[in-house]
Amino acid sequence: MSKQSILESIRQNKPDFQRETGKPEQKPVPVSKSQTTALKSFISALEATGGEVVECSAAEADSLISEKFPGILDFTRPEIREKYGEETPLSEFDKIETALLNGAFGVAENGAVWIEDRDMPRRIIPFIAQHLVLKTEASQIVGTMQEAYRRINLSGTGYGVFIAGPSKTADIEQSLVYGAHGAVRLTVVIPKMPDFEA
Amino acid sequence: MTSHAIKAAKFLGNEARADWHDETLWIVRQKRDRMAASVPEWESLREQASQIKEEALANLDVYLEQFESEAVKNGATVLWAADADEFNRIILNIIQKHKTKNVVKSKSMLTEECGLNHFLLEKGIEVVDTDLGERIIQFRHEAPSHIVLPAIHLKKEEIGETFHEKLGTEKGASDPTYLTRAARKHLREKFLAAEIAMTGVNFAVAETGSVVVCTNEGNADMGVQAAPVQIHCMGIEKIVPRQEDLGVFTRLLARNATGQPVTTYTSHYMRPKPGGAMYIVIVDNGRSKHLGKPKYAAALKCIRCGGCMNTCPVFRRSGGHSYGYVIPGPIGSILAPERSKSGCPDLPFASTLCGSCSNVCPVKIDIHEQLYCWRQDLTEQGKTALSKRLVMQAAGVVLASNGLYNFAGAAGRWAVGHLPRNLLYMPLNVWGKGRELPIPPKESFKKWYGKNKNHGK
Repeated sequence: MSKQSILESIRQNKPDFQRETGKPEQKPVPVSKSQTTALKSFISALEATGGEVVECSAAEADSLISEKFPGILDFTRPEIREKYGEETPLSEFDKIETALLNGAFGVAENGAVWIEDRDMPRRIIPFIAQHLVLKTEASQIVGTMQEAYRRINLSGTGYGVFIAGPSKTADIEQSLVYGAHGAVRLTVVIPKMPDFEA
Repeated sequence: MTSHAIKAAKFLGNEARADWHDETLWIVRQKRDRMAASVPEWESLREQASQIKEEALANLDVYLEQFESEAVKNGATVLWAADADEFNRIILNIIQKHKTKNVVKSKSMLTEECGLNHFLLEKGIEVVDTDLGERIIQFRHEAPSHIVLPAIHLKKEEIGETFHEKLGTEKGASDPTYLTRAARKHLREKFLAAEIAMTGVNFAVAETGSVVVCTNEGNADMGVQAAPVQIHCMGIEKIVPRQEDLGVFTRLLARNATGQPVTTYTSHYMRPKPGGAMYIVIVDNGRSKHLGKPKYAAALKCIRCGGCMNTCPVFRRSGGHSYGYVIPGPIGSILAPERSKSGCPDLPFASTLCGSCSNVCPVKIDIHEQLYCWRQDLTEQGKTALSKRLVMQAAGVVLASNGLYNFAGAAGRWAVGHLPRNLLYMPLNVWGKGRELPIPPKESFKKWYGKNKNHGK
C-alpha cells in the first residue's frame, strides 16, 4: 500500500503557508439574541427550504401529531423502535409512509435539524420514509452552524445528520422538484414548554 | 484556434441554448450574492476558511495520520492510493471481496478523475450513479459539464427522450416533476438492491476520523444506509483539522454553490452500521506533488462549490464540456495544467482575467493570478500553441525596437484603411473572428503628442 510514499511526498512538498499546527485565530461565534428571535428565523429558514412547521404547546404535541398525521410511525416509542430493528428487512422500511423522529436541536440560520444514531433504530428511516416528521423543542434552536458544532459530539455517535427540508433536486433545467430520493415532505413539530419566552 | 476555443465555438453554435446556459448560471450567481449578503460576517468566514485550509495543507501529513488513526478506532478500514490505477484496483478488490455486482455511487468528482466507472465496466461491473444529474449523463454516456450541476448542458426534452428510452417514460414527456418521479422509482430499486454504496467526501475531520458528505437529493444516504458496505473516496486535500471547523465550511459551501443556506443533508459518517463495513480510500493522484508548487499550491484549498464557474463569463458562454478536463471552469483551468495527463495548456488562456472567480471563492484562492502565472510558465515551457508563440515573439521584437514599432504602427493604420476585407479578416486573424477592427486614427499618438505637448502652457 502507498501510505508511506504518499506521506513522504507530502513531507517533501509541504507548502509554505506560514502556519503552525493549531487553530487559526477564531472570530467569536455570533450568538443568537433570544429564543424567540432564534425560533422565528428557524421557522422562516425551514419554510424557505420547502419544510412545514407545526407550533404547539408541549402538552398537546402528541395528540396533535397523531391527529394531524394518522398512521404515523412514532420512533420515539420503544415498541416501534423494537419492531424496526436490525433484523427487519429493508422492504418493510420502504413501506413507511410517515415517520416521527426526535430532532435534538435546530439551526436558526438555515432551518436544519440535527439527528443522530440515538434518535433512530436504523439510519435509513429519515431517508426512506415518504414523509418525515421531526419533533424539536422550541427552546432547542441555536443561531448558526458554528454554534451547532459546539453542541455536537461526533466521537460519541456512529452517524449524525443535519436535515434542512425535504429531499430536492434541480438537475432538470434547474426546475426545483421535491422528493428526489429522500422524503418528499418534511414537517418539524415544535412544542413549547410553558416557560418558553414568548 | 485552441481546443477550448473550437469546442466553445461549437457550444455557441446553438445560440438559444448558449443564452439559456449563460442566463441560468447567472441566476445561480445572483442567488449566491443574496445569500452571501445575508450573512454579516461573510468576509470573515471566507478568511477563516482560507486560513483553516492553509493550516491543514501545511500540516497535511500530521492530520492525515491523525485522521487515519481516529477512523480506524471508529471501526473503519483506511486504504491509501498513490494514483488513479491503484485507486481503481483498491475499489475492484473491495467489490470482489464482498462478492457482488450491485454497486451504487453518489457524486464524486474524484472517481470521475480516476475513470473508475469505465475501469469497472471493463471488469463487468456497472456502477449506478444515483445523483439525478449524474444518472442522466450516465444514461447518455456523457461527462458532467459542471461539478455541482452535472447536466446543466441538457434541455428537459432531451432528458425526456433519454428517460423514454431507458426508463419507459411516456414519449415526448418532459415535465421535470414527472421525470424526477420516474428516476426516484428506478433508483429506489437500485438502492434497495445495492450491496455496496460509494460516496465522495466533502470534508474529512482529522480530530474525529469522520467524513462529511453534503447532498440535496439524499442519494448519498439512501445508498450508504441501505447497503451493508460503504466506501468513501477522498483526495488528500479534503482534510479539515477539527470538528468545529465544519461550522465555518458548512456556512459557506451551499450558500456559495447554489445560493441555499445549507444543503438539505449534511451527513457525518463515523462508524459502520451494525454488521456493516466502512472503507475510506485516501487518494493522492498528483496532489502531493502539486503541494510543492509555491505559486499553485493554494488551488488545493478548493471545496468544490462551483461558484467560480457560475460567475465566469467564459464558462457561462462556452459550457463545461469545452474545457476537456474533469473539473471545468476557472478552478479546473488552474488544476489541469498541473494534474491532467495532457496538461491542457490552452485552459489558462480561456479566461478574461477579470478576477470574478477569485472574488467569489469561499476559500480565497487567487484563481485569476494563478491563471496569469500559468500562461507565463506554459509559454516558457513551449507548451502553448505555435501560432500564439510566434505572434508573441514577433510582438516582442517589434515592441523592443523604436524604428520597427513606428513602422508597424504606420503600416497597420494604412492596412486597415486600404486592404480588402477578406485579407484583413483572413483565418490567421483569430482576433477578428467575431470582432471588428477599429477605424485607425490618421496619425500615431506619438506624432499627436509631439504637436500638442506644449499646448495650454
